[in-house]
Amino acid sequence: MKFSEDTLKKVAEVIARYPEGKSKSALLPVLHMAQDEFGGWLSPATMDYVAGLLNLEPIEVYEVATFYSMYNLKPVGKYIFEVCQTGPCMLNGSDRIIDYIKAKLQIGVGETTQDGLFTLKTVECLGACGYAPMMQMGKNYREHLTKEKVDAIIEECRQNAALNN
Amino acid sequence: MSIKLLLEKANVPGIISYEVYRREGGYASVEKALRNMTPDQVTDEVKKSGLRGRGGAGFPTGLKWSFLAKPDGVPRHLVCNADESEPGTFKDRYLMEFLPHLLIEGLIVSSFALGSHHTYIYIRGEYAWIPDILEKAIAEAKENGWLGKNILGTGFDCEIYVHRGAGAYICGEETALIESLEGKRGNPRIKPPFPAIKGVWDRPTVVNNVESLAAVVPIINYGAEAYAKIGIGKSTGTKLISACGNINKPGVYEIDMTISVEDFIYSDEYCGGIAHGKKLKACIPGGSSVPILPANLLLKTAKGEKRLMNYESLADGGFATGSSMGSGGFIVLDEDQCVVKHTMTLSRFYRHESCGQCSPCREGTGWMEKILKNIEYGKGKMSDIDLLWDIQRRIEGNTICPLGDAAAWPVAAAIRHFRDEFEWHIRYPEEAQQRNFGLAHYADPLPAPQSA
Ligand SMILES: Cc1cc2nc3c(=O)[nH]c(=O)nc-3n(C[C@H](O)[C@H](O)[C@H](O)COP(=O)(O)O)c2cc1C
Ligand code: SF4
Ligand code: FES
Repeated sequence: MKFSEDTLKKVAEVIARYPEGKSKSALLPVLHMAQDEFGGWLSPATMDYVAGLLNLEPIEVYEVATFYSMYNLKPVGKYIFEVCQTGPCMLNGSDRIIDYIKAKLQIGVGETTQDGLFTLKTVECLGACGYAPMMQMGKNYREHLTKEKVDAIIEECRQNAALNN
Repeated sequence: MSIKLLLEKANVPGIISYEVYRREGGYASVEKALRNMTPDQVTDEVKKSGLRGRGGAGFPTGLKWSFLAKPDGVPRHLVCNADESEPGTFKDRYLMEFLPHLLIEGLIVSSFALGSHHTYIYIRGEYAWIPDILEKAIAEAKENGWLGKNILGTGFDCEIYVHRGAGAYICGEETALIESLEGKRGNPRIKPPFPAIKGVWDRPTVVNNVESLAAVVPIINYGAEAYAKIGIGKSTGTKLISACGNINKPGVYEIDMTISVEDFIYSDEYCGGIAHGKKLKACIPGGSSVPILPANLLLKTAKGEKRLMNYESLADGGFATGSSMGSGGFIVLDEDQCVVKHTMTLSRFYRHESCGQCSPCREGTGWMEKILKNIEYGKGKMSDIDLLWDIQRRIEGNTICPLGDAAAWPVAAAIRHFRDEFEWHIRYPEEAQQRNFGLAHYADPLPAPQSA
């Protein structure tokens, strides 16, 4: 296991942002890079690799990886639908959207479809309350969700997946 | 039209780029501050402006800056709090997405005032596309000599870095944020020592909200006196409000703090009234942790005065009959919404976000969520209401950081103002599964809105 040359360069850049001897500060950004590069989740081997890279004890990395909700500690589907269910989104029908996705993909919250394409999660407020209901999908937000929009997103994902295969 | 200081140029096409931003007068405050003022003069100006922290607590920004320790030979840091995770709040995102240079400009002037040569923007991890926008703006500012070494030939050096979080509301709390910036779990620190003395890497640190730091630009450009003339009393300048829930026009609005809550909700310039022609039931005016108010107490204070959109007026009546400006996250509930269910989602949020260090917060938030769930899903007991009250009271004030209070207040306020709705859920569990309670008798609505 090793980062690409490009990523290693980025890691060095990130470490240089913090004072001498404080490279632990780069841990959160480097874990993001690791998750992006090594299959969308942080396996124990990935975390150990990051620990070595930043001169940390593995436990220091595990502690952090388990604290933050964006680090996946288990493999996840190719597309993760993270639907917000907090107050303001609930007021605008997030429950209906969650139920619709469940029925459409035939999975429960926290589950992945059999083809490994989709994972459904519920999450707490993502700072898009005025554009509710909404979900996060990878690096982007999908807002003002309706059933039709959800259908279109699922279709889009399936097509992208087919193209990449 | 009210005065706009932050969003004035938000609709200028291309304002996200350096060229357009500069052409529209951008970076003038950096020229003014670095060329003609000393760092202490900048701090003084911010003090005189009356600017209060826009992150939630409303602490005077200039005063906070004046507390920063300046021991010889020890670097100090400014950290911009862009963690924005309080439910109902999405104003900082708007500023960063559409006016990134305004934030960078404010950060340069503020870094100069505080003597921060390495300034960090801590942004919530979920805003995953925004670091690219900020980093582009930083690179453009640097190319044009506003960042880097010897800025404008004044001898002042400054770099700005973006640091992405990874999903944890608690990292908005300033000492948790500092821990997270150090690459650790976001466990809040016990204060004192305060960050102003011992912050990130044990160095003196100032943590300020995105909007507070952006507001430094108009303060320097127009002068503290002119800034302080806008607004009313101790609510000087303008405030960004992110409005959401059951309104016709959710979004981010800049207000001068003299307008009434009623105008804010019903005028077409702002929320445009309640969606689908319904009636107003309740509102949380300042982000999920501040007390919810029924319509009658929201539009008028207990004394019968018009309630205004500012720090003093929203807080009028204390927590008994008032609320708070908080972060400016304005959440509106229409007549068909269920206060029990809404409160349950907020309790779930705080349980999820508790860092777990203090038992009253770790255990209490879980109990509150569970009891509220029982009541919502028809399994509540009458004694649960008093139990909830008791739990929230035992959390408040007994924890390391204010997340405990933030979790307690929404529950307390919901029971205080909507007790009959809780009782109805418990008394008629089956009916409560079929329909909502509707307007509380005291959530006496206005006549139907004229617009919409
Ligand atoms: C649980 C908790 C969450 C917070 N979240 C944020 C936040 O997301 N953004 C923010 O600016 N301040 C947040 N704060 C307030 C910060 O601790 C701090 O007071 C603020 O960043 C100071 O900036 P200001 O004075 O400019 O408002 C939070 C506080 C607590 C207790
Ligand atoms: S009050 Fe809650 S979030 Fe704050 S330190 Fe204690 S357990 Fe953590
Ligand atoms: S409540 Fe869903 S984004 Fe804020």
